[in-house]
Amino acid sequence: MTRTVAIAGAGYSAVARSLEQSAGALTLDACRAALSDAGLTAKDVDGIATYPGGGDSVACFHASESLGVPRLNWFNDLFGWMPAGITPVIAASHAVAVGECDVALAFRTVKRPHGRPPPGIGFGARVGGEMQFRAPFGDSMTSSWLAMWARRHMHEFGTTEEQLGHVAITSRRHASLNPVAPLRDPITMDDYFASRVITTPFRLLDCDFPVDGGGAVILTTLERARDLAKPAVVVAGGVFGTGPRPDWDQWDDLTHMASKYASERLWERTGMSAADLDVAELYDGFSWLSLCWLEDLGIVAKGDGGPYFASGKAALGGGGVPVNTHGGSMSGGRLHAISHVIECAQQLRGECGERQVPAAEVGVVSAGGGTMAGALLLTGDR
Amino acid sequence: MAGDRPLPLPDDETAFFWDGCREGKLMILRCGDCGTYIHLPKPGCRTCGGSNLAPAQVSGRGVVHTYTVSHTPLPGFDPPFAIVLVELEEQKGLRLVTNLIDVAPDEIEIGMAVEVVFETASDDVTLPMFRRRTA
Repeated sequence: MTRTVAIAGAGYSAVARSLEQSAGALTLDACRAALSDAGLTAKDVDGIATYPGGGDSVACFHASESLGVPRLNWFNDLFGWMPAGITPVIAASHAVAVGECDVALAFRTVKRPHGRPPPGIGFGARVGGEMQFRAPFGDSMTSSWLAMWARRHMHEFGTTEEQLGHVAITSRRHASLNPVAPLRDPITMDDYFASRVITTPFRLLDCDFPVDGGGAVILTTLERARDLAKPAVVVAGGVFGTGPRPDWDQWDDLTHMASKYASERLWERTGMSAADLDVAELYDGFSWLSLCWLEDLGIVAKGDGGPYFASGKAALGGGGVPVNTHGGSMSGGRLHAISHVIECAQQLRGECGERQVPAAEVGVVSAGGGTMAGALLLTGDR
Repeated sequence: MAGDRPLPLPDDETAFFWDGCREGKLMILRCGDCGTYIHLPKPGCRTCGGSNLAPAQVSGRGVVHTYTVSHTPLPGFDPPFAIVLVELEEQKGLRLVTNLIDVAPDEIEIGMAVEVVFETASDDVTLPMFRRRTA
């Protein structure tokens, strides 16, 4: 028997381009903010999960001890290829659902290397593993891997650079309504085309904005969440997905990502569909990713993601399902989608002020790009 | 600047590929039972479930499946430079990441016919690069 799970609290540390605080201190701030939001203390926590696998954060026990969690019945440090910000949330919701724990913290902190070399996989003189087939040809970064997917999508569906520009412009417009977003000055199409090319078709403004910061959410049973400080946000589904060729180069069809598999699974598991959505927080490590998620979730038909952004439907008040209402990773800061989870929960509670989607009841959060994908469907407590 | 590129560190599963390149042959793991080519190298055949795999020489002919032109400085590369994903003619979806030696980045097109050409990168490493193919 499984229990219905809810998000009972959510919070951030400071989020900015460069912060003095350590990854541990940022984590502590984010977790305390989430606990305070829920009206809970560290004494109530008995489960914890995070993704420390990027070498940019701390592990579960570092956080639980700092917080003063007296005992843990469930903990999960998640390593490897996965949608880093959403996986701890999904894992923790499953742990609460089956009764492994009752109150779980899920966090993701990102503290940039600040001049230290990236933990990197393809920059050494000799490169092993899968990267031995990429690094010798200059293909060492996710930007180039995904740029090649985006290029293929442009080739097959006529997606344009200008449409990618609309993704960036829409994100920034939303960030301008978000007091905690680090990039809030609106941008124009001229700004977009003037930003330097990183790797075609991606310009600087197609990329997420690296920041220091952390985010955390509290997961508990819906029953318990109803007794806490804030309206409960129900976790209607949390899924993962990939296909038969989970490799960046050998993936069967580069015009859809693993998002196709996670999306199919999400609708299958929840019995809902894209038609039910009021808001969509779609991972945007690069502009094209949220465009591809939009299509794979079925919010628009395959190939129509670019026109959707260009027509303004992805924007707040644009008549469609608004996308990345907080500014996403591109203007809200690169927190690996924990910020997408928090934004969706805040939208469903009606806390988003100027950027609030009216009467938002159902929201989707997606994370991951290329060969890995995870998605959450959240609803108000109806 | 090729001498400064990162070079491969072959392992038990990949040594045959780099040995082949040094001998001027493009070798891809192939299932002896069903004929599926397996790249990147894996110990099992995803098509038939077998493990009767052995390296087989392929033609080295293919087409550009997709590409990106990087403007990011990297050791061994002069930006802008193109990273190209070539789909080999032997099998749909059988692809290699590579560079084109004779095509300017702004002339690359998806669907362009290319063929392998081997370039010595060090005493022990030869890289499979590609060039434009007319026939």
